[in-house]
Amino acid sequence: MSTTTERSRATETLSQRERELELLARCEALVSEALRAGADEAEAFASYAQKAAATFEKGDLKLAHVDEGTTIGLRVFRHQRLGFAATNQVDAASLASAARNAVALATASPADPANRLPDARPIVELPTLVHPGLARLGIEEAVDYGHALVTRAQQFDARLSVDGANASVSRVAQAIHTSRGVRAAESDAMISLSISGMALEGADVGGFHYASDAIRDPARAESALKSLVDDFARTSVGNLAAQRAPTSYQGLVLFSPDAFLDLFVAPVLAASSAIAVQRGRSALGQRLGERIGAAGFSIHDTPGDRDLAGAASFDREGQPARTFALVEDGWLRGWMYNAYAAAVENRASTGHARGGARGVPGLGAHAIAVASGTGGSREDLLGALGRGLLVQRFSGSVDPASGDFSGVAKSSRWVEGGRVSGPLRETLISGNAYQLLARIVALGSESERVDGSARAPWALVDGLTVTAG
Amino acid sequence: MLGTMTSRAPDPTDLLQEALDAAPGGFVELRWHKKQTRGISVEKGRVDNATASEHSGVGVRVLEQGTFGFASTDRLEKGSIVRAIGEARAAARASSRARRERVPDFPSVTLARGKFDAPGVDATLARPIESALEMLLEVERGARAGSSRVTSASTAYAEIYEEKGIVTSDGAKVWTRTVRPEFRVIAIAAKGGEMQRGAESVGVTGGWECLFESKSPAQLAEKAAKQAVDLLDAGYPEGGRTKVLLSPALVGLLTHEAVGHTVEADFVASGSCAAGRLGTRVASDLVTLCDSGASEYRDGAGGTLAVDDEGVATQRTTVIEKGFLRSYLHDRESAARMGVAPTGNARAWEYDDEPLIRMRNTYIAPGTSQLDEMIAGVDDGYLLDGASNGQADANGEFMFGTREAYRIVRGKKGPLLRGVNISGSAFDVLQTVDAVGADFRWDLGSGHCGKGQPAKVDAGGPWLRCEVLLGGRKA
Repeated sequence: MSTTTERSRATETLSQRERELELLARCEALVSEALRAGADEAEAFASYAQKAAATFEKGDLKLAHVDEGTTIGLRVFRHQRLGFAATNQVDAASLASAARNAVALATASPADPANRLPDARPIVELPTLVHPGLARLGIEEAVDYGHALVTRAQQFDARLSVDGANASVSRVAQAIHTSRGVRAAESDAMISLSISGMALEGADVGGFHYASDAIRDPARAESALKSLVDDFARTSVGNLAAQRAPTSYQGLVLFSPDAFLDLFVAPVLAASSAIAVQRGRSALGQRLGERIGAAGFSIHDTPGDRDLAGAASFDREGQPARTFALVEDGWLRGWMYNAYAAAVENRASTGHARGGARGVPGLGAHAIAVASGTGGSREDLLGALGRGLLVQRFSGSVDPASGDFSGVAKSSRWVEGGRVSGPLRETLISGNAYQLLARIVALGSESERVDGSARAPWALVDGLTVTAG
Repeated sequence: MLGTMTSRAPDPTDLLQEALDAAPGGFVELRWHKKQTRGISVEKGRVDNATASEHSGVGVRVLEQGTFGFASTDRLEKGSIVRAIGEARAAARASSRARRERVPDFPSVTLARGKFDAPGVDATLARPIESALEMLLEVERGARAGSSRVTSASTAYAEIYEEKGIVTSDGAKVWTRTVRPEFRVIAIAAKGGEMQRGAESVGVTGGWECLFESKSPAQLAEKAAKQAVDLLDAGYPEGGRTKVLLSPALVGLLTHEAVGHTVEADFVASGSCAAGRLGTRVASDLVTLCDSGASEYRDGAGGTLAVDDEGVATQRTTVIEKGFLRSYLHDRESAARMGVAPTGNARAWEYDDEPLIRMRNTYIAPGTSQLDEMIAGVDDGYLLDGASNGQADANGEFMFGTREAYRIVRGKKGPLLRGVNISGSAFDVLQTVDAVGADFRWDLGSGHCGKGQPAKVDAGGPWLRCEVLLGGRKA
C-alpha cells in the first residue's frame, strides 16, 4: 500500500489512460481475489471521480468543495447465487474483505439459472468524451461559473432570489473486468451548472423554479450558462402574481419538453424494462409490436449522442451501448435488456445495464431522445391549444404500474386566444399516462435538450383533467 | 458468523484531534463518517440484490478568509487528514474573492463531547443477513399467494449502520453510532389489462424488533396485496377544494414538505414564505409543530440522532406553538447570523458531503379528538391515507401523493377510492385545521428526503382535519 504522499503525487500525475489502466488493474486483482474466495464468476466495476464544485446560497458563495475518490463494486455468482459488495477502501485488506462478503452473500442466496455473467462482445468506442480543455479546470473556474450564474440572474431582474446555484467540474473514469473476458474502460468529464430560486415582489413569493445543464466542451460553457440563467430568470419572474385558473376542465394541455418527459416518457421507460415485463409488472407487457401512441411519437435511446450526459460506449456490464428504438411512430418496438433479463430469455443483452460501482447493475436507458414532430414552434402549439393550460414542470407522481398520475402543474400558465395570459397557482392535473399517449395531438418541430441528459419536443396532449385551485 | 456486520473501528476522535492539532489555525471541523449498508431485495422468488457496501472517510470543513472550504479523504490516517485540511484551506482561499458577505467566526456554543449510541446498534449488527433473506422470500411468496389477481410482488430490506467521529477546533469531540433498518413490500394486481400497485414500508432508528413493533412483515405484505387488489375495483375521487382527514403518514408529509422545508433557515434566507413571520399566526391554535432529534411520543423515529454533524447536541425545536411561528431550523452559521442558538439540524449524508440544514423527526403534537368523532364531523369530504411522494416550494405550495381515499358523506365513511395528489399552501392549510387526533404515529421513516443530498428523516403525528385541493379525475 502506498503512503499518502505517494498517492497524492500519483493522483496529480496520472493521465486519463493511466487512470483507466490503474482501475482495470484493481478490477482484475479483485476478480482474482473473488475467484480465490470461492466465486464461480466475478465482475469488478471501478469508478474514479474527481470534482471541484462551488455552491452559492442566497446569491453568495457558500462553499468551495474539492474531492476525489474511487469505489469498486464486486458482483459474484457461486452456484448461480448472487452476492455483491462495494467499498471505497481500496487497500488490499479491504478488497479482500469485500470479496469474502460478496461470496458469503452468494452462499446465502437461492440459486437462479439466469445468474451468469455475459460474454465479451465488441465495443465500438466513442470518440473521447474528455475535452482537453477540461483537464485544466479546477476550483477557481467552478467558482467563476457559479459567480457568473448568480450575477447574470441578479442583473436580469432585481426581483430574483437565487436560492441556490452550483457549478462543478468533474472528471470520471470507469472500468470493468470480468472472469468471462469483459474488459473495458472509459473516461468522461463534464461542467455541470444549476440554479434554483424564485422571484419576490412585496409579499408575493413566486413559484420556485430550477434549471440545470451539463456540457463537455468548455468553449460552450458561456453560451450554455447564459441560456440556462435566462430561461430560469424569465420563468421565475413570470411566476409572480399567479392566479387560480379561471376554470377546471378536461381537454388539451401543452407540456414543456421537461414535463412531457416526466409524465409520458418516464412511464414508458419503466414499462419497457424486460425485467418488468418478465415479472408481470409492466403495463405494456402484452403490447410489443402494437401501437401505443399517436403517429409521430418515437422514443430512442441514443448513447452515442455526445451532447447528452449519458453518452457511453458500453453499459454497466461492459456490453456495447447502441442506439435503440423503444417506440417508433407510435409503435412499441422493443424491451430493454441487461444480462440478467437476457439470460432469462436466452438472448443477448441490448446494453441497458445501468448504475454505478455501489450497486448491482440495474436496467435503464442511457440518453433518451423523443423525436420532434410537425407541430411547429411553441407559439404554433399555443395557437393550437387556443384556451387552456401550459405546464412547464410537473410535481407529482406517476404510478408506473397503472399509469395513473396526479400532481401540481408548476410554473404553469393560462393560455387564452393562443397566447399566454398569465401565471397560475395551485393547479392540478391528472390522467393516465399510457392511455394519453394515443391522445398526443401534436409534437413540436424541435427536440430540445433537457437538463443536458435527454431530448424532447413540446407536446400538446388531449384528455387531461385540470383542476383549478 | 456469516453475513453479520462488525464495528471494527476504535474511537476515532483521538486520531482526529491529533490531526487537527497538527494543522492549527482558524476553524476546522473533522468528521470521520463510516457508512456500512446491507441490502437485499426479492421479486417473484428471485434475489435481485444481495449487497454489503462501505463508504468511509473523513470530511474536512474549514472557515478561512471568511468563507468555507471542504475537502475529504477516504483514509483515516493522520497524514491524509492533515493533507485534506490543507486542500480545504486552499479551496477556501481560492474562492474567497467570490464571497460577498464574509462568514464571521462562529460564536461560542456548547458542543457535544462523549460517545452516543442509538438503540439497537449491537443487536442489529449481530443479526445474520440470512435471517432477513429468509423473511423476504417467505413474505414475498405470501404476498403473491393471497390472491390470484396479484401478478407480482417484491420485498426489500436494507440497513444503514453509521459511525461518526466529530472533532472541531472549538471543542466538539464526539463519537456516535446509529443503525437504521427499513423494510418495504410492493404488490402488483391485474385485472382485464389494468394494473394497480399496493405498497407498505417501515423504517426506524433502532433494531429489528422496533422495525416490526406495530406490524409484522407478513401483516404489511397482506395489507399491500389487499390494497393492490382493492384498488382494481376502486373509482376516482372528484377534484376540487375539500375537507379531508389526513392520516398520521400524510400529516407527516404535510409537516415535512409543506412546513419543514420552508422553515429551514437557508430557505428562509432566500425568501421562503416563513421569512419575517416569526411571532405571527400561521396555523390554527390547535397546531403545535416540532422538529426533534429525539423520538418523541413513540420509539424508533427514523431521523433520530443525538448530535448533529457540526457537533451540536440535538434538541426538540418548537417551530409552531399553538398556531404561532416560533423558530426556524438552524445550523451554526444561520444561527449566528440570526443571533439565536443552533438547533442541531446540520446533517451530511456521507463523509464527502458537507453539512446542510436538514430536518430530523418532524411532527404535529397530538390533540384530543378521536378518529370516529372527526369522521362524524365531516359533511362532505374525504379520508386520505398512505403516503406516496411529496414536494414543496419556497412559497409554501406543496404537493403530495396519497395511496387511498375514502369519500365521507354526512359523517359516514364510504368505499375505497384511488389515491390522489393533494396540494395547498402550507400556512393556509394549517389555518383550516379544526380537529387534531389524540393518537400519534411516526410513519415516514423509510426512504429519504432529498435536498441535494439524501437524508434519513421521519415525520408523523395524529389524524388531522383540514381543507386541501384534491386532484381528482373529474374536473
